[in-house]
Amino acid sequence: MKSHPYDVIVVGGGHAGTEAALASARMGRSTLLLTHNIDTIGQMSCNPAIGGIGKSHLVREVDALGGAMARATDQAGIQFRVLNAGKGPAVRATRAQADRVLYRQAIRRVVEQQENLRIFQQPVDDLLVEQGRVAGVRTASGIEFRAISVVLATGTFLGGRIHIGLEQSAGGRAGDPPSIPLADRLRELNLRVGRLKTGTPPRIDARSVDFSVMERQPGDTPTPWISFLGNAEMHPRQVPCHITHTTPETHDIIRANLDQSPMFTGVIEGTGPRYCPSIEDKVHRFAERDSHQIFVEPEGLTSTELYPNGISTSLPFAVQEALVRTICGFEQAHLTRPGYAIEYDYFDPRDLQASLETRAIAGLFFAGQINGTTGYEEAAAQGLLAGVNAARRASEESAWVPARHESYIGVMVDDLITHGTREPYRMFTSRAEYRLQLREDNADLRLTSVGRSLGLVDDVRWQVFETRHQAIERESAWLHGTHVGPSSQRAAELGNLLEQPLTRDQSLFDLLRRPGVQVAHLYRAMDRTAPAEDIGQQLEVQARYSGYIERQQAEIQRLQEHEQLRIPDDLSYQSVSGLSAEAIQKLEETRPLTLGQARRIPGMTPAALSLLLVHLRRGGHRLGQTG
Amino acid sequence: MSQPASAPAADTIAAVATGPAPGGIGIVRLSGPASLEIGAAICGIRPAPRRVYHCPFTAASGELLDHGIVLFFQGPASYTGEDVLELQGHGGSVAPQRVLARVLELGARLARPGEFTERAFLNGKLDLTQAEAVADLIASSNEASARAAVNSLQGRFSELASQLAADILQARMYFEAHIDFPEEELQTEGTGGIRTSIQSLITRLEEVRAQASRGRNLVEGTTVVLAGPPNAGKSSLLNALSGMDSAIVTDVPGTTRDVLRESVLLDGVPITLLDTAGLRETVDPIEQEGVRRSESLLARADHVLVVVDVLNPGQLRQTLATLPETAAPRTTLVWNKADLLAGDSPRSPVTEWPAVWVSARTGEGLENLRARLRNCVTGAAPADHVFSARARHVEALDAALQCLQNAAQAAAAGAGLEMVSEDLRVAHDQLGRITGTVTSDDLLGEIFAGFCIGK
Repeated sequence: MKSHPYDVIVVGGGHAGTEAALASARMGRSTLLLTHNIDTIGQMSCNPAIGGIGKSHLVREVDALGGAMARATDQAGIQFRVLNAGKGPAVRATRAQADRVLYRQAIRRVVEQQENLRIFQQPVDDLLVEQGRVAGVRTASGIEFRAISVVLATGTFLGGRIHIGLEQSAGGRAGDPPSIPLADRLRELNLRVGRLKTGTPPRIDARSVDFSVMERQPGDTPTPWISFLGNAEMHPRQVPCHITHTTPETHDIIRANLDQSPMFTGVIEGTGPRYCPSIEDKVHRFAERDSHQIFVEPEGLTSTELYPNGISTSLPFAVQEALVRTICGFEQAHLTRPGYAIEYDYFDPRDLQASLETRAIAGLFFAGQINGTTGYEEAAAQGLLAGVNAARRASEESAWVPARHESYIGVMVDDLITHGTREPYRMFTSRAEYRLQLREDNADLRLTSVGRSLGLVDDVRWQVFETRHQAIERESAWLHGTHVGPSSQRAAELGNLLEQPLTRDQSLFDLLRRPGVQVAHLYRAMDRTAPAEDIGQQLEVQARYSGYIERQQAEIQRLQEHEQLRIPDDLSYQSVSGLSAEAIQKLEETRPLTLGQARRIPGMTPAALSLLLVHLRRGGHRLGQTG
Repeated sequence: MSQPASAPAADTIAAVATGPAPGGIGIVRLSGPASLEIGAAICGIRPAPRRVYHCPFTAASGELLDHGIVLFFQGPASYTGEDVLELQGHGGSVAPQRVLARVLELGARLARPGEFTERAFLNGKLDLTQAEAVADLIASSNEASARAAVNSLQGRFSELASQLAADILQARMYFEAHIDFPEEELQTEGTGGIRTSIQSLITRLEEVRAQASRGRNLVEGTTVVLAGPPNAGKSSLLNALSGMDSAIVTDVPGTTRDVLRESVLLDGVPITLLDTAGLRETVDPIEQEGVRRSESLLARADHVLVVVDVLNPGQLRQTLATLPETAAPRTTLVWNKADLLAGDSPRSPVTEWPAVWVSARTGEGLENLRARLRNCVTGAAPADHVFSARARHVEALDAALQCLQNAAQAAAAGAGLEMVSEDLRVAHDQLGRITGTVTSDDLLGEIFAGFCIGK
């Protein structure tokens, strides 16, 4: 049985798959979203939270490009906090506790309302590949769907294996079957494959928990929101989280049962994330600590289940139950689901282009955990990028590749395709060398115009953006253009604001760079109506970081030429005279797409890069002559 | 992050264009947009394109560095296709290196091997055949600079630089952990602790900076001190060594009245020979001061030659007694006036010191002494690359130091953690140019190893 061809098929209805399908459809491409279960579209498989340091930056970027995640979070969030609120704006991050059901409904609604997007429920077993390029997919019951581009966003389902104690079973997520035939099919392709693992804690029934002995952690007041189009009125009822601690007895139980942990006994071959270790790992590695904190997060407004964040474990269920009951407030706890570890296939992201298209098969794109990442936000960001480029591929347009200095999306993709990953890759702000420029507060200024020209941004969002953008430009121009000095009319009013008196003519923007000077004060002293709060904050941030950002801009400028210099896919490094064997090996493992990327491969020397540069220039010269 | 492979047009590069071999003319060449400004600052005139001017080359203090000819080629009608300026002064190694040091001080960057040619190539100034040669050129200097880097990275300096990079990594680990994991129970140092740790990094970096430039800076080159009793023939040996090369490139006046210095080239390596005041016990206060200075020179020298008259072996014990203990591993005994020994005389009282027999008068044994010095001070690497590698290190250390000072200032002014860590990041990147690239994953690895992270 055959159907009419689509432009883009997306396999997987998780955070990567939905953003991919939505992006492609927003761009006007006829798009099919294939999932093994329509009812789990937008499912949060792990902890019920969106955002956090580095991650919220990705969410805001996806939002600035018209994606669904931030708005769904505003509709489903039941506790909002700004992390690092006491630190600088570049590292502040919004985090929301989300109601799983509301979140899934919000995503489902967006998907169902999206023009050009169809949904079909059926597991995908096979890829159709014709003459080295993808042609479509075949489902478990033999239905073929044809398309120009295919995005695989299959999460942890490829070859998924669940461990609870020394028991193991095949599974893509607790309660869902894995994708074994597709995994086998992909292993036949010319792609490097590896195994990763991740874990999840047991869930607990809130009715069996004593919250009175725990620290209460309410959301921030006033309640933050995350989308550029969001507001606090969109949120459902807000509830607190709680914090509790493990006890020495907890640690004793864990230590006594390490021989039943699949990780410690070597049953699990995959590598787990260092930043999200299991509780057995934490107890073992930091033996000197007799307590670890646990964040007790509600799963939703209509559920009594709790997510005890901090005790991810794959110990046998009986041991899980025993250790949970030694934790303050959990003495009578009833476990509703066991914790488990899951192992799954991922594909070495060094086999991808920066567009997330595989190098091996034209038109085939990978997004999300299949690329070795973890996290809803990382998945959503990749999904959006893969969706954009799958759509552009379908209309024979060149790929959109965001740069490291433009977005966390760019940082993530460049990290993945340059370094690969040995553990599930998670975003941190320390991964971004241009962190001071890549902020939550300016994601729209960095990306919404690009999104508009890509066809991702609708009129409503564009209108909101333009109004804000113009206000920022107008006020910034005024601050830069207005100079004051000791003899200015307003010197006295300004003097009251400043710790150091005015000694020479300076622009108001320069004054704003001084610590403690705020837009509101400056405007009052100058007798000008202050701009809206978000505009004022934006101006303050720009002023505060301006020195650092100018220096970074110079660095970016300096490296620009290399970033744009492409290395042909078929370049033989052996033929580059003078390259050392070590350099050749490193270059062949990564096969960098640009000279800039080559520069970031650990161990590359300036001399090796020079040789490569000259070789490329020489090739380009010849091409120029014949072309 | 590693160093960029090709400099952007925004960068001005400079190098000594003439080889290290002794010669009449030494050329410092600049290429890039700031060439004319830098030339004007040194020469006091703004040369018109393709005109020859004779003028003094001066330091920032107004001190005369050299004098010679300045030539300006306006891009694209130049070798590299960019603005090029040449300062043609006295040859050899010391004078051009002093001019180069001044050029770098004015904002130029030391060119990498082959970089002028590379720029010429990139700017379309070379045809295809010439371009073929560029890769070979860079490949060969690649090896040489790798060797040079290894050389200058051996020993104490390397240890110190790596240790410093490790300490900056530790500081960054602390900052980054607090930024990326605010909800974890991390141990905290107050702002006071932050400032102290940055200040201690600065102190350490300054020490390394001093280490890097001691006896190795561009002006002085490697230092070899001649010590020994008066009349052992130190001065004639000095003359013989320098005369042998016919390469006295300049007479830098002694900084103290007790020390005579000559600069010579030894296989292209600039070496400063210092002839110290006689080493002997004395009660005269002025002479004591001279001896104190000699001792300090001996302690800091790259190598020490103890010169003793073969006919007065009894002076040896007394001379060695005055040597600082720390100089011992860097000392060679030179038995001078070997031509005066009867052919069948025993060649020396036996000591544990490495020794050579020479005659400054006849030239006998000087080749041995040169070989010995060459091994001691340069290893096997060609001199020009040794020095360019080292200058690059000093440049990176200076940049790193600047960033740390910014970080300290920012911390003192109460700036956010993220701004302080930005300065630390750049400082770390700069040190990475010496010790190897640091990736963000290395940093995260440190954080996960050092703190219990993870919900």
